[in-house]
Amino acid sequence: MSIAYWRERNRYYRILGSKCKECSAEFFPPVYKCRKCNSEKLAEQEMPKEGKVMAYTLSRDIITGFEDQEPMIIGLIELQNGVKMVAQIADASADQLAVGDKVKAVFRRVSVNGEAGQIFYGYKFVKIDK
Amino acid sequence: MKKVLIAGASLTKVGDHWNKSLLDLAVEAGSAALKDAGIAIPDQIVVGNMFSGFSSLQENLGAIIADSLMLQGTPALKVESSGASGAMACNVADSIIRSGQANSVLVIGVEKMRDMEPNDAVHAASLGESASFTQFFGISQTAMCALLTHLYMQEFEISRDELSVFPVIAHKNAVPAEHAQFRKAITITDVSRSMPVSDPLRLLDCAPVGDGAAAVVLCSENGQTKNAEAEISASAASTDSLNFFQRDDMFDFTATRRALAKALAFAGLSIKDIDFAEINDSYSSVAALSVEALGFSKRGEGVRDAKEGKFDLNGKIPISTFGGLKGRGNPIGATGVYQIVEAYRQLTGTAGANQVKNAKTGLLHNMGGIDSSAAVHILRRVG
Repeated sequence: MSIAYWRERNRYYRILGSKCKECSAEFFPPVYKCRKCNSEKLAEQEMPKEGKVMAYTLSRDIITGFEDQEPMIIGLIELQNGVKMVAQIADASADQLAVGDKVKAVFRRVSVNGEAGQIFYGYKFVKIDK
Repeated sequence: MKKVLIAGASLTKVGDHWNKSLLDLAVEAGSAALKDAGIAIPDQIVVGNMFSGFSSLQENLGAIIADSLMLQGTPALKVESSGASGAMACNVADSIIRSGQANSVLVIGVEKMRDMEPNDAVHAASLGESASFTQFFGISQTAMCALLTHLYMQEFEISRDELSVFPVIAHKNAVPAEHAQFRKAITITDVSRSMPVSDPLRLLDCAPVGDGAAAVVLCSENGQTKNAEAEISASAASTDSLNFFQRDDMFDFTATRRALAKALAFAGLSIKDIDFAEINDSYSSVAALSVEALGFSKRGEGVRDAKEGKFDLNGKIPISTFGGLKGRGNPIGATGVYQIVEAYRQLTGTAGANQVKNAKTGLLHNMGGIDSSAAVHILRRVG
């Protein structure tokens, strides 16, 4: 997993997606072809770091390696540019959240590969205080 | 065009096969189906399986199963399409026969889930979602589906108790089915108050974890050794965006709808010709979205139709006639083949207490991911 993690680091660290050079549509995760106009002319594009919660779930359905984070709040988030993505929502309990809440991306520890293993980092989202 | 006939079928009980391996289950179902068909050596073996490499550290399933069945020399391969692997194995077998490349194909669907720790099983079932976009972050397929369920319930004003209707139908039909994992009737309240898994989805909204294998022998008219009683009238498939929220319409299972249209056109039938359906009821909400995409219900009205009895065993369109994914169980890559075996029983009048009266035409719907892969089969009684 380490090499794949290194390769994808910009996606995990900066939410680096794609922008179509023809129709300006933006995408995350990055695409091979524009999902709107089918163009192959694409540029890297960092996503905006703020958005709002469209839906969220308190999940106890946990993949190995994430046991210590159970239960996790997973949100469907619409970023300011309209791109939708799923991500963990941290630093909040489910009863502190509501659909429509504004959230921002933060850089966090995602998982730890055993006591002496690698630590994987990436984006999570937190609620923006009003 | 060549006909694709069903010459034999077999299945194992779905559940906790602590004492049987992936290979044990595949060989048990496969050899019983060959015996049922009266065929010693099929021209081809196609195995439907999603994650044997992950669950059992075993790939090359075609060769190891052929070898174990003493069918060395028979070409064999595995077909993988997430939760639709079983149906896609049948789809490939159907194509091989229609092309004239083979006169008989043994299709085996198999999945071994109980050799894994529970959280590994969650991961295995989520392998059909994106490795870097969701799995890396620990996001399971159930969590993704929960988000869609929230939006679906909100959009169509569906209550918690309304959502609970599909598991109740599934469990009711599983009670008399000897091969079903959960032969216990449940109530709306049981579902609505079961343990939260990923809200709004609760334990009884979700198809269970279980092992199993099912097998069918498909033949051309030249390949059969006795007069077959049922045929595959159509086998069609389609795909859609991996992530449901990247679709133009999140509440339309487009892959399913496209596969259905292709299957009906190929068979020369309309949806009104369908007597019963095995649907991909992996989650309560997915069951509802499936009956809507399949044209049995209008948009947003799946749960209400279910509540009114439309999908009961004696209703207008019986679904999940042996319990479906929820009641019979969902050994993932095997599920599509279970559906074929169950429909075969319906069409040949051997469904026992689960028999749908005068069943002539059945529709089977199997899905990978959250409708990122979908397959639809139409089976008909012959003669």
